[in-house]
Amino acid sequence: MSTTTSSPSSVAHGHGAPAPDATTAATSDPGRALPVLAVDLVADPELLEGLADLARGLEAAGVGALTISDGGLHPIHVASHLAPLTRDVALLPRTDAVYVEPFHLATQLMSLDHISHGRAGWLLTAETDPAVAAAVGRTTLGLEATAREAADVLEASRLIWDSWAPDAVVRDTGRGVYVDASRLQYADFTGETFSVRGPAITPRSPQGLVPVLVADTDRAAAGERAAVELADGRALDLDVSTGSGAVLETVDAARADEDGPPVHLVRLVGLDLEADPLGTVTELATALREQGLVAPAPTTGQSLREQLGLPLPPYSNDPARRSDRARLTSKDPA
Amino acid sequence: MTTAQFPTLADSGLSAEAAALATGTAEHPIHSDHTPTGQLAFGAFFQGVNSSTIWRLPSSGDQVAWESFESLVRTAERGKFAAFFLGEGLRLREHRKVPFELDVAGRPDAQTLLAALAAATDRIGLVATQNTTYNDPVDLARRLQTLDLLSGGRAGWNIVTTDNAWTGENFRRGGYLDHADRYLHAEAFVEVAEQYWRGESISHDGAHYSVRTQGDLPASAQGRPVLFQAGASPAGQDFAARTADVIFSPHGGLEAAVDFRRSITERVVAAGRDPGSVKILPGAEIILAPTEAEAEEKVRWVRDLQVGPEQAIALLEQYWGRDLSGFDPEGPLPDVAPEVSESGVTRGAGFQFAKAEELTRTWREEAAQKGQSILEFAREKSGARRGTFTGSYDTVAERLADFARLGAIDGLNITPWLIPSGLDDIVDHLVPRLQERGVYPAEYAGATLRENLGLDPL
Repeated sequence: MSTTTSSPSSVAHGHGAPAPDATTAATSDPGRALPVLAVDLVADPELLEGLADLARGLEAAGVGALTISDGGLHPIHVASHLAPLTRDVALLPRTDAVYVEPFHLATQLMSLDHISHGRAGWLLTAETDPAVAAAVGRTTLGLEATAREAADVLEASRLIWDSWAPDAVVRDTGRGVYVDASRLQYADFTGETFSVRGPAITPRSPQGLVPVLVADTDRAAAGERAAVELADGRALDLDVSTGSGAVLETVDAARADEDGPPVHLVRLVGLDLEADPLGTVTELATALREQGLVAPAPTTGQSLREQLGLPLPPYSNDPARRSDRARLTSKDPA
Repeated sequence: MTTAQFPTLADSGLSAEAAALATGTAEHPIHSDHTPTGQLAFGAFFQGVNSSTIWRLPSSGDQVAWESFESLVRTAERGKFAAFFLGEGLRLREHRKVPFELDVAGRPDAQTLLAALAAATDRIGLVATQNTTYNDPVDLARRLQTLDLLSGGRAGWNIVTTDNAWTGENFRRGGYLDHADRYLHAEAFVEVAEQYWRGESISHDGAHYSVRTQGDLPASAQGRPVLFQAGASPAGQDFAARTADVIFSPHGGLEAAVDFRRSITERVVAAGRDPGSVKILPGAEIILAPTEAEAEEKVRWVRDLQVGPEQAIALLEQYWGRDLSGFDPEGPLPDVAPEVSESGVTRGAGFQFAKAEELTRTWREEAAQKGQSILEFAREKSGARRGTFTGSYDTVAERLADFARLGAIDGLNITPWLIPSGLDDIVDHLVPRLQERGVYPAEYAGATLRENLGLDPL
């Protein structure tokens, strides 16, 4: 590995010979840090046997992130399974926000963050397939309602992730207190179709808030609010199933586009993983890096937030949602 | 066939206590329909939230760190444990409307964690406690099958039910289920899951949900996840007898375990199943030392660390339903009446539905009779809530061999009182003694959880 720095702002300097404009963009605007190169793995049961080797091979090829798409196996579990089998690569399940129990989904994603030591992300999709709705006994939502639901679930998830202060587990042997309730808060989210009380059943995860990205493929269904206002950024989808011809130009053009949300992930989809995926990926990764179009390969211990140039979010304590308010109220003079 | 061809009860090495509980032949010591395998399978139960896990020691590890789970599961696998279980709680426990501060709290999602542990282990089963009330059956079935495929046929599901609106506040459905309906609902839920695992086309319209889908994943090496159930009530026992592969019982005492085996055997036969097809694993805490005297001392030490003065008062407050902080933990039990008629649900399943008036009166009398302080009483009660095997390595090994030979249980589901080193002495000192006595496997029987629990193929 050519660089060992974990500081996101210095990432572009430490590597190869980046194009001058890319370096400038990365240093002048941290929101526009170099995107991370990702490869999409479809979680097909057929893929199981070679899955560990494939993930490790892609990591060795310098890929910064793996997105795990739904191919039958559950993407979050497959991402979690890959966590101890890999060391540096970020893991982003591409998974539905709509036909789910938001509390379970948020818990699963923050658990993935614990297990992977801060390498978790969420590539949010908003399901439109009626079969998925029928499987959970719900009727398909219209496009507008789907988008609203996706935004609600994303907001609820962040409130759940933010419900424990980083130092909530105090282990105060003197007072006999393990967890300090004043450092916990209720999520208290009420959306159109569901509400969540909280707090999380899981302590705050290493990244605090798991980075949420929306792939171009999913932007329409997820809606502008989830995709543009709420998400941390966009995943530029590059279908390489018919060759990798215009990849560099496309990435360059997308990064220059100042209007949309920042390109945080350059995602290679449609790779033939049975043939020679590592060869194609290694070649593309090298070319993209030489042009200064994607971030260097991640270093051990680097979180996905660091890779993406996102600051660690501070714990935001809302006095109205403090979970020990009942205790405070009961101590008020009568 | 006469019993003379088989060893007699006296020959089988049973203690006098165990032999006295046997009413049948050497082949079927406790029920004519039940044949003991004479073998024990161990499970490690990482509960995550409870009062038994000690957090005050320097050796108490992080309760959510990957390293803690990895270390514990590796020890369990070294000891040829059949399974590693994770508990579940879908709302942070509260005490007097404030999240409970005195016990270990906070844990990762069970299945997400087990999917990762599947990559760190080879043989041990991976069992997730998952609630039927606050999950969608197809979503849960698909997750469990994913875990089963990722682990090469080592997944299990500990089926639990809830009906309270307090937990439901975290979920779309809220508290929509009547208490009486929870097993009916659970049974319909399990049926849908089984249809999904069999790859069937599902069209279910039940009282609580409708499902239209098609099972679309291949079967795992063991066919489907192993089903666990903790059925203590008659309705729970019937549900378990009809659906479960393994039952977690609360009965750690030999006599109670024998009674439970008889009860389950009858219900399993009534459900048209082979009694050997349902295994019984009581929940257990094991506290060991080289000698009896050291073990006694260690039990006191463990209880002191598990239940401090604050926890003792909080335990009573749970049943009294009022502030008892003015009472001295070293003094007698509070001589005041409870403010509730039933204990609350907010501390989880283990604390539900006790009639407060009756219970607090009984407790006061019991403590007074034994001359116990609040602290002493709470420490004893805290230990009494689970099956406890304490003593020297040899005593406990001999006692467990009795259970196995009699066929009272098929193993134990052990909650370590310390994370992550709480299984070390069990694996290093108890397991070899059980192996010497021929009641514990020297090697894993196979690659799947079904095989390692001694369950027949589906």
